[in-house]
Amino acid sequence: MYSLTEDEKDVLQELMNVAYGNATAVVADMLDAFASLSIPNIQVLPTHELLATFESMKAESYFFSTQAFSGEFNGESAFFINDISAQNLAKHLELETADDLDDAILELTNVLTSSLTTKLSQELDTEVSFSLPSITKVPLQDIQEVETFQNYSQVIVIDTDLNFEDQKINGKIFILTKDASIQWLKNKLNTILELLL
Amino acid sequence: MAQEQTQHNLRTLTVDEKIVANIDNGILVLDDSLCIHHYNKWLELHTGKKEKDLLTLKISDVFANINTKTLTRKIKTALRIQTPTFYTANTSKYLIPIKLNQIKNAKFEYMQQDVSIIPFDLEKSLVALIITDQTNMAQTNALLHSHIEEIKELNQELIKERDTIDKKILYIRLNLQAEISDISHALLNLLEYEKEELLGLDFFNFERHLMSATLKEKIKEALKKKEPTNFEERTLSLSGEVLYFQSTFVAEFNAKGVQIGFIIFRENITNAKILAKTQEKMLASSRSAAMGEMIAMIAHQWRQPLSLINTVIATMKVKRELNLLTKEITDNSYEKIQNTVKYLSETIDDFRDYFKPNKEISRVELNTLFEKSIFFIKSEMDVHSIKYSLKASESVEIETYKNELLQTIINIMKNSIDAFEESDEREKKICVTLERLSTHVSIEIVDNAGGIKKDIITKVFEPYFSTKSKNGTGLGLYMSQTIITEHLLGSITLTSENNQTKVLIELPYKIRSQK
Repeated sequence: MYSLTEDEKDVLQELMNVAYGNATAVVADMLDAFASLSIPNIQVLPTHELLATFESMKAESYFFSTQAFSGEFNGESAFFINDISAQNLAKHLELETADDLDDAILELTNVLTSSLTTKLSQELDTEVSFSLPSITKVPLQDIQEVETFQNYSQVIVIDTDLNFEDQKINGKIFILTKDASIQWLKNKLNTILELLL
Repeated sequence: MAQEQTQHNLRTLTVDEKIVANIDNGILVLDDSLCIHHYNKWLELHTGKKEKDLLTLKISDVFANINTKTLTRKIKTALRIQTPTFYTANTSKYLIPIKLNQIKNAKFEYMQQDVSIIPFDLEKSLVALIITDQTNMAQTNALLHSHIEEIKELNQELIKERDTIDKKILYIRLNLQAEISDISHALLNLLEYEKEELLGLDFFNFERHLMSATLKEKIKEALKKKEPTNFEERTLSLSGEVLYFQSTFVAEFNAKGVQIGFIIFRENITNAKILAKTQEKMLASSRSAAMGEMIAMIAHQWRQPLSLINTVIATMKVKRELNLLTKEITDNSYEKIQNTVKYLSETIDDFRDYFKPNKEISRVELNTLFEKSIFFIKSEMDVHSIKYSLKASESVEIETYKNELLQTIINIMKNSIDAFEESDEREKKICVTLERLSTHVSIEIVDNAGGIKKDIITKVFEPYFSTKSKNGTGLGLYMSQTIITEHLLGSITLTSENNQTKVLIELPYKIRSQK
């Protein structure tokens, strides 16, 4: 299994911060409201630690959406949003049905992950394409059994808060990558590191 | 140059247009105010509308179902982030309403669509909408979903049922090595153990089994042969309470028919066992009471013959002293004594026979049985000047346990005799009537010894209930009822009116051996 060194993690976090700044503007645009995104807490974890993170989330009910991306840098992004945040989003967008809410969450997933991943890949000098996102509302204890998670080795975790005038939307973004992508990422990060030195 | 131009045409224009026209997807180009800039052939064919009629129209004016706000947002976002945005069939069902006429997709009225909104021309704010038919996928998903729901329901029922079984049925599961692999909570409650304490233990050495070596062998033999076996088990609970179980041992197989172990189903028979033991004690107690009564009866019976012997001897003595004792007189006297002693001996035999419970069913002639019972109590009846009569139209024969019935009859008649002790009735009578009925025989024993008071008549069959101040064990009628109902499979009722007490016994013509 590949893992990232402290230096590599630092560079990646820096890149993620830049990418995330870009996503903020897009989300504000999309939601047609003044929104601010809090400074994200970004971590890079091995998958088994991610599963431990889920343990602490079990008390709440979450919407869980995923979107795969392909290219030299490939993997899957997962977005978790809890019930209350989802309701806040629905209120803000004046949504009427549960399907509309699902659609809005998918849209938010898509916007967050594509702007993040696109920006990140631009920084890494590559291109990515996106598949259709999908959504499930699952009890979190079942997620451990989800095989796709077991297929990934490293996870980039971004904990984010979207703040509207009076409503708060909290979501967690996980960017899951496989060993091959991690190796590619390591090479890229090291090139950047060399440039910086 | 010309060649280059042709190649260029071939490579881009002609090919792209052909593909766009023939591809199995809807392709729609819109600007950010939703006006139509392209409407491909697939869309024309599926919606029955022509591109030429639609150009410059707003898509939301053509299809009223389209949510302008959402679509505008998605288009703007796609242009802003320069990556596609999406509608998915799972959540949005469809964008462009296309009626379905396929038999296999009867569930949906309209084609279910995935839509990708691709940034097409940033300067002109154009996006291309690629529409993919996902009806089959949606159909499969819906089918899967309904099946999953069904399975969930079945699973729920199964869990509920398993729970009920666990709470109500006493069972132990063993693996092939006869180690305990599961045990129901109903049984654990009785044994007062926690499940974890028993799992994995060898069944033959677990709990505080009071299992004999013979029984162990019998069960082990059955294990080998995989034959269902019934046996009685005795075990101690954690706190030391003795528990009796009637158990059934059966092999357990998995869905493929491979044996995976055994299940022992148990029935708690502790209460029945304790009741049986109490009854045994009562029976023993009533037997010793009966023994006392029998000795009294023998004494009554012997008094007269013994005084006869005494008289004969005294007469011989006097005659010898007077020298009047001839050989003839001596022989005569000896014969008398011999006959009387024989009679005494026979009386003992008779009593002993009566006292022994029968192991086998025999044919019983009821008239004879009553003669016999009168023989035992005649002397006592004489003391109280009780007249006895038997009414029977014909010979009544049944197959039953003879001595049990005899004991019961004597017991009931003795009750009548005891009742007469406190009665001033002048014409003391015990009347017995035997009757053959179609399904059974009836025995009616009526006395006129004053009857039984209403407030106690319901209690007479209860154990340890007695009206007699002394010598009453209170078990007589209780045991009579037990014998009649449980051993002789009949019924006994007691009624009282006009100074009379009537005991009615009804018995089947024939019973099967149960001992």
